[in-house]
Amino acid sequence: MNTQHSYRDDFPALRREIDGQPISYLDNAATTLKPQSVIDAITDYYTNNGSNIHRGKHRLSEEASDAYEASRVVLANHIGAAANELVMLRNTTEALNLVASGLDLGPDARVVGCVDAHHSQLLPWRRVGHLDLTTVDPHGRIDRDHFRSLLRKQPKVVALAYCSNVTGVIHPVRELIAEVRATCDATIVLDAAQYLPHQRVNVRELDVDFMAFSLHKMLGPTGIGCLYGRSEALMGLRPLAVGGGMVDWVDMDSSVERRIPYKFEAGTPAIASVIGSAAAIRYLEALDPVQRHRHDMDLCEALVSGALARSDVSLIGPPEVTDRIALATLRLDKGIPAGEVARLLSDSYGFMARSGHMCAQPLVTQLAGGETLRVSAYIYNEVSEIEGLYKALDELLGLMGPAHS
Amino acid sequence: MFDAVREEIAYAFDRTVFFRNHMEANALRPEDIRSAEDFQRIPPTSKSHYRRNFPAGVLAKGYTLNSPHVMRFQSSGTSGDRLNSAILAYDLTRRQATALGVNPRFNELWRPGTRPRICRFAPPNCSDVECATGFSSMADRTLPDGTLVLTVAHDLLATPEWQVVKAFDEIEAYQPDLLVVDSTHLAFLARWGRRLGRTITSPSKLHVVSGYTLMTRVARRQVEDFLGDAVPIGDMIGMSELGYLGFECHLGNRHINNKDFYVEFVRDGKPVADGEMGELYITTLDDGLVPRIRYATGDHFTPLGDTCGCGTELPRVRIEGRATHMVRLLDGRVVTPGEVDAVVGDAPWMDLYKLEQDPTGACTFRYIANLTARDDDVTALEKRLTELLGPNPSRVEAVDYIACERSGKFQSCVSRLAAEETP
Repeated sequence: MNTQHSYRDDFPALRREIDGQPISYLDNAATTLKPQSVIDAITDYYTNNGSNIHRGKHRLSEEASDAYEASRVVLANHIGAAANELVMLRNTTEALNLVASGLDLGPDARVVGCVDAHHSQLLPWRRVGHLDLTTVDPHGRIDRDHFRSLLRKQPKVVALAYCSNVTGVIHPVRELIAEVRATCDATIVLDAAQYLPHQRVNVRELDVDFMAFSLHKMLGPTGIGCLYGRSEALMGLRPLAVGGGMVDWVDMDSSVERRIPYKFEAGTPAIASVIGSAAAIRYLEALDPVQRHRHDMDLCEALVSGALARSDVSLIGPPEVTDRIALATLRLDKGIPAGEVARLLSDSYGFMARSGHMCAQPLVTQLAGGETLRVSAYIYNEVSEIEGLYKALDELLGLMGPAHS
Repeated sequence: MFDAVREEIAYAFDRTVFFRNHMEANALRPEDIRSAEDFQRIPPTSKSHYRRNFPAGVLAKGYTLNSPHVMRFQSSGTSGDRLNSAILAYDLTRRQATALGVNPRFNELWRPGTRPRICRFAPPNCSDVECATGFSSMADRTLPDGTLVLTVAHDLLATPEWQVVKAFDEIEAYQPDLLVVDSTHLAFLARWGRRLGRTITSPSKLHVVSGYTLMTRVARRQVEDFLGDAVPIGDMIGMSELGYLGFECHLGNRHINNKDFYVEFVRDGKPVADGEMGELYITTLDDGLVPRIRYATGDHFTPLGDTCGCGTELPRVRIEGRATHMVRLLDGRVVTPGEVDAVVGDAPWMDLYKLEQDPTGACTFRYIANLTARDDDVTALEKRLTELLGPNPSRVEAVDYIACERSGKFQSCVSRLAAEETP
């Protein structure tokens, strides 16, 4: 088991100094940094192989195919799925679009979503059906009564987010899925992009039809998102893209698609990034889950208590640390622009945090009224960094607040 | 003048954490600096220092970012060297007035009790507003000082027609007295204006101040042709964090503002003689908000040491450009962006150009020709460039698109070789 100190040592980007000062990376809900083992896995593929997969008989191609498919097994095992139930795509957004477009819903099909969803779990559904959004309370917890009432309209799809990238709230997904199963026969599509980096998920126990997630939010390279689908659900899905690699046979008039998951993976995939993704999963699985969870909770506690202790920021999300990840979205009072603060936190203090609407504009507008500042921590962060960020924020807000001269 | 410098040093030492630390780290105190020679004992300060220490370490005690008359801003800076800073509105005005004072064609811009209506058309990252999307209104893009920022794409030549039309419409609606522009951007608008049959007019007398990047003769020719002789055009020497450092007189010479700043031109740590190129170091005078001492600007000039016929007392300089934009040749010579521009000339057959030196030292000159271009024009330019850039290999390439820098600026001359070698 690594110590917290060695986590940081595993991430070469954290050795960087800007303008002579070390950096603190607190934008992990957007993407995480990459450990050396992931970088090495990618470099090794390009250094020693570099060939294409699946349709070659030569030695390098076979090695690359083996490494690619072995990576799929690692990723599938991580969520309790079979390898053929895991489709390798570019990102969560592509995965959710694949499901939305591939279900061939009629224009009147009802879809139940939630107002706190990321745009990638809102817009694909809005395009293909009638989307009803479940409301949340002022702290971002889902309105269960409203959810139940929407289920009674017999939706074709229920599109859930496991965890909000704005409030950090972990929704009671198990209970919600049980309610769906008891009420209607909707297909359940889960966005786990924010949750899976923090907690393991077993898709079979969860009884979900589809689940999407991105490896870059859990130490993997950018450009890899995964779609899990129960095999029978996947078999009924229409591919988003057609072309090379996803067919078994093509003649002058017709073609025969490959079996799942290959029929969804048209064209040459991001081979190196898939191999790097498996290295990321191996890194995460090597950590002590209990210690990791405790560390996550410590970070969460520091983020929440830091926000609650200040009068000039408002926490967008629940004031407690249960059922939430180590993420705090802040509204800055007195009209202080979040974007300017994020820039100064970065350039003057070395804290990399995000500002804006977080790709969840309806929710951010509703709860915050405008741009916010989001601080999101991960395994290589320490409580002292969060304390340092709040101290820097105090100094900045003191200088940006009302004039005194 | 040096008494004012000493006062600024004492003020910065007393009122800012950064400068006190900077002096103490070099075992210096304000009273140690009694002469211009002593002054050189203070190691130069840099953009990096001010970026890292802004605001807490460089804002003078007693001020906040919301104090009266404080204007704060962020920009991408030249070549992506980010900048966050603040300036007192009246310091900006004072420096602007001194600089523009060298050119009588701009006299009527400033009348007692009025402020010119200013419209800005420049790289979007240089503005404090989100101007590159189509959703912003004129009100969204009007800065606290009343300046209207026009929309333009980050990649200038990729600006769509609707955005160009919007720029023309808004100039017409806003009726500016002054266009503050990047000349490459305004030349782009001029070409579109001819295509669309649009002109730029205003009920009041229009003036143009060009800044942000080197005003090439190619751009200037297009702007002058489009706006006509009646519109004064002046090339501004400036930096976001300092305002006007100098201006072009009506005879076309550049003058540096040594009334509101103490200026040095330095090479290898020593002041250069007249006629030699050096980096401009700026020391602010009477800057109550963010005093800067020996601020190394990264911009190079040659002080010419002569008297200009325009009558101003501000010294004449030649703009040479930034170190990272200077072409380094195998024989040890350095070719500045200004020298390249002189060789290109106003080239009526050309719309836009960019010279780029790659890390191996080879140079590629890309240009976008207009319909009047003849083979002879290209051959003659090729010959002049070969003479200028030899012994390094160079080639000339006709293109129909040249990308902007990521910062949104269009630099007419860049050197990847120099950028790699510059710390």
